[in-house]
Amino acid sequence: MRTHSRIAAGVAALLVAAAFAVSPALSEPKQGGTLTFIYRIIAGHFNPAIASGTPTGIPGTQLFAALLRYDDQWRPQPYLAKSWSISDDGLSVTVNLRENAKFHDGHPITSEDVAFSIETIKANHPFKTMYAPVTKVTTPDKLTAIIHLSAPHPAIELAMSSQLGVVIPKHIYGEGDIRKNPRNSQDIVGSGPFKLKEFKPGEYIIMERFDDFFLKGRPYLDFIVFKKMAESTSRIIALETGKADITAFASDPQELTRLKKSKHLTLTPEGYSAIGPLNWLAFNTARKPFDDKRVRQAIGYALDKELLIKILYAGFAQRATGPIHPGSAFYSADVNLYDYDLDRAKALLDAAGLNPDADGIRFKTTLNFIPGGATWKRWSEITKAQLKKIGIDVTLKASSDFRSWIKTVAGHDFDMTLDSVFNWGDPVIGVHRTYQSSNIREGVPWHNTQQFRNADVDAVMMKAGLEINLDKRKALYADMQKMVVEEAPVIYINASPYHTIYNNERVGNPPIDSIWGTSSPMDNVYIK
Amino acid sequence: MTDSDNTQSRQIDEMPETPVEHPFRQFVTMYMRNYAAVAGLLVFVVIVAAALLAPVILNVDPFEMVDVPLLPPGESGHLFGTDNLGRDMLVSIIYGARVTMAVGGAAAAITLIIGLSIGAMAGYYRGWVDEVLMRITEFFQVLPPLLLAMVLVALFSPTLETVAIAIGVVSWTGVARLARAEFMRLRELDFVKAARSIGGRDRRIIWLVILPNALPPLIVNAALTVGIAILFEAALSFLGLSDPNVMSWGKLIGDNRDYLLDAPWTVTIPGVAIFLTVLAMSLIGDGLNDAFNPKLRER
Repeated sequence: MRTHSRIAAGVAALLVAAAFAVSPALSEPKQGGTLTFIYRIIAGHFNPAIASGTPTGIPGTQLFAALLRYDDQWRPQPYLAKSWSISDDGLSVTVNLRENAKFHDGHPITSEDVAFSIETIKANHPFKTMYAPVTKVTTPDKLTAIIHLSAPHPAIELAMSSQLGVVIPKHIYGEGDIRKNPRNSQDIVGSGPFKLKEFKPGEYIIMERFDDFFLKGRPYLDFIVFKKMAESTSRIIALETGKADITAFASDPQELTRLKKSKHLTLTPEGYSAIGPLNWLAFNTARKPFDDKRVRQAIGYALDKELLIKILYAGFAQRATGPIHPGSAFYSADVNLYDYDLDRAKALLDAAGLNPDADGIRFKTTLNFIPGGATWKRWSEITKAQLKKIGIDVTLKASSDFRSWIKTVAGHDFDMTLDSVFNWGDPVIGVHRTYQSSNIREGVPWHNTQQFRNADVDAVMMKAGLEINLDKRKALYADMQKMVVEEAPVIYINASPYHTIYNNERVGNPPIDSIWGTSSPMDNVYIK
Repeated sequence: MTDSDNTQSRQIDEMPETPVEHPFRQFVTMYMRNYAAVAGLLVFVVIVAAALLAPVILNVDPFEMVDVPLLPPGESGHLFGTDNLGRDMLVSIIYGARVTMAVGGAAAAITLIIGLSIGAMAGYYRGWVDEVLMRITEFFQVLPPLLLAMVLVALFSPTLETVAIAIGVVSWTGVARLARAEFMRLRELDFVKAARSIGGRDRRIIWLVILPNALPPLIVNAALTVGIAILFEAALSFLGLSDPNVMSWGKLIGDNRDYLLDAPWTVTIPGVAIFLTVLAMSLIGDGLNDAFNPKLRER
């Protein structure tokens, strides 16, 4: 409850601040201008129908329109779909498309394309649960598509939005293996507000306004330029000097602290509630002694989470308490918080039969951490120091690169690891995968790598995944959060402090008005 | 027979009564005459003592977060202040000496073993063996050493062992060249020919006849190599390629470099420690070089 009100107060404060920031200018959106967007990575292709990840999603949602879009209160809004309705039994969704919608090559967007897109996503996208209940998509007429489901699917609207549910042209991507289609990265024919003008792999993307976009008068911008800037220092300088207008997913506390000092820059954590990024310490529950829940809980009590957040993120990060992101509608704070308590931790280890030897060591274990970036390394060193206090001797295992870390964790070859996992809007899409005993798939990144098996948790997730009534569903997830936190397959530390940073003298309507943030169409953004 | 015996004994008897110094004492005397080298040796002894006695002097875990991060030196009883995670810098420096000296020593030893083996073989056998070994040496010489070391460490994940081996692997070529030159010179000298004429096997001649005479320049080089290896370890750590389980001076600099402007001491103190150690090794190398050189003894 208290956390809720704190968030509410925070949101209110931000709104007030935003109002003040905008009001002196009182500017109406105006046409024209170029937005320069800098990012750490430029993806190899921009077809969100077959790939997840923000480097594909941010440019991908400019090039391709989805059926729906979301506001910042988790309310679905019409986008390419003029209207839509879900049948009372929850087994079909009827979508009515806009009449005037065209692809970038002038072809009209029809229900055929919608059917093709959903089938393509279902067959190729890494998020298998997203369209799993879809049995078929029928097209009674050119502007109507009906999505048939084998069971009620409360995440269906979310799956129809942002980068998850883009509509791609059948006449371009319908032939051959879509994964190998060269038009995933060049000569893209999209449905979104911007069309691809130029793409230099690894360097930049230039997008130009699509004049025949189905929302009249939009987009406001003439061009968006995405530039790759991998180095934190170069990003800082580009933003400070005004060479860049905006960046997203900034989380380095050094970068945030410094940029906060610039008056012409606004830093905001808004726009990340759908992504729902959580950072945690995970256990390999198939390995001794982590197969004993008391050992996992003991480590939960031994970690000083508040101190960790303070030191690692310089006050920019929010505490995470369970498997669901604090920004989600399904978040419940009614869980065991594992408040820092060394005596309790030691007592739990005693109870588990892990007694200290002559040197005070109870057992030796290892901790893997995500390579690249000082934060993860610092985090692992702090964990090592904190666990030593309860007699656990931790050896840190550095991975040579991201790939080898993923391989180690996905292959279950670890004792403990630090990890960062996204919620992806609905628990069915991004949360279930981490805890479902049926989703232990060795070798696949971010499956149930903890190999956590709990029949009760499986059952409640199964129920919540089919529940259409929002309140009942919330209650089921509240139970689920309590149960998972009690079982402690992972110890939750914080929500990643992702921030969007933009030049407030130039950027009007910054892309923070949606739960999807920058992974949503920027048709509303303008240059002052 | 008797005549010659008498001649010899007479000659010995007739020799002037100046005390003959043992070569080792001569060597020590020469070394002690070089004050800079003595200072270097003192610094070295202090650092090695700190490294060996670290648990006795300060029985604290260097990873333990004892206070507020980034406290300036002298505040709250922390002589050298605290680092970015609130760990005592003095403890880190003392425990870091162990790791830094161990990596430096091990890397220098690896350098010496590889370099000496290859150089000795090439210089002694000449011919095609020399050709092949020198081409291999040149291959390693043209590779940028820091880059190669980075690749090796990244490939085999950063642990103390891989860091030491990587530094050894990239820095042996100088020793090989030096050893080859010495062996080429010495193998033509009479005492080596004599050893060969009485049927000495190659292995015996290389290791027992030539090597002891080739050692002085190699020992001087080894002292310098320790210094270079320490700098290498610091460079790798600065780039984030250090064993996260142990505290080394390079790691301290690497970890704290983001705070250089706010908390300069976190980088300066380990930097000074590295500087002093490398300087000491360099001065010791100079001193050894002078002490080994018989021509300087006349002065």
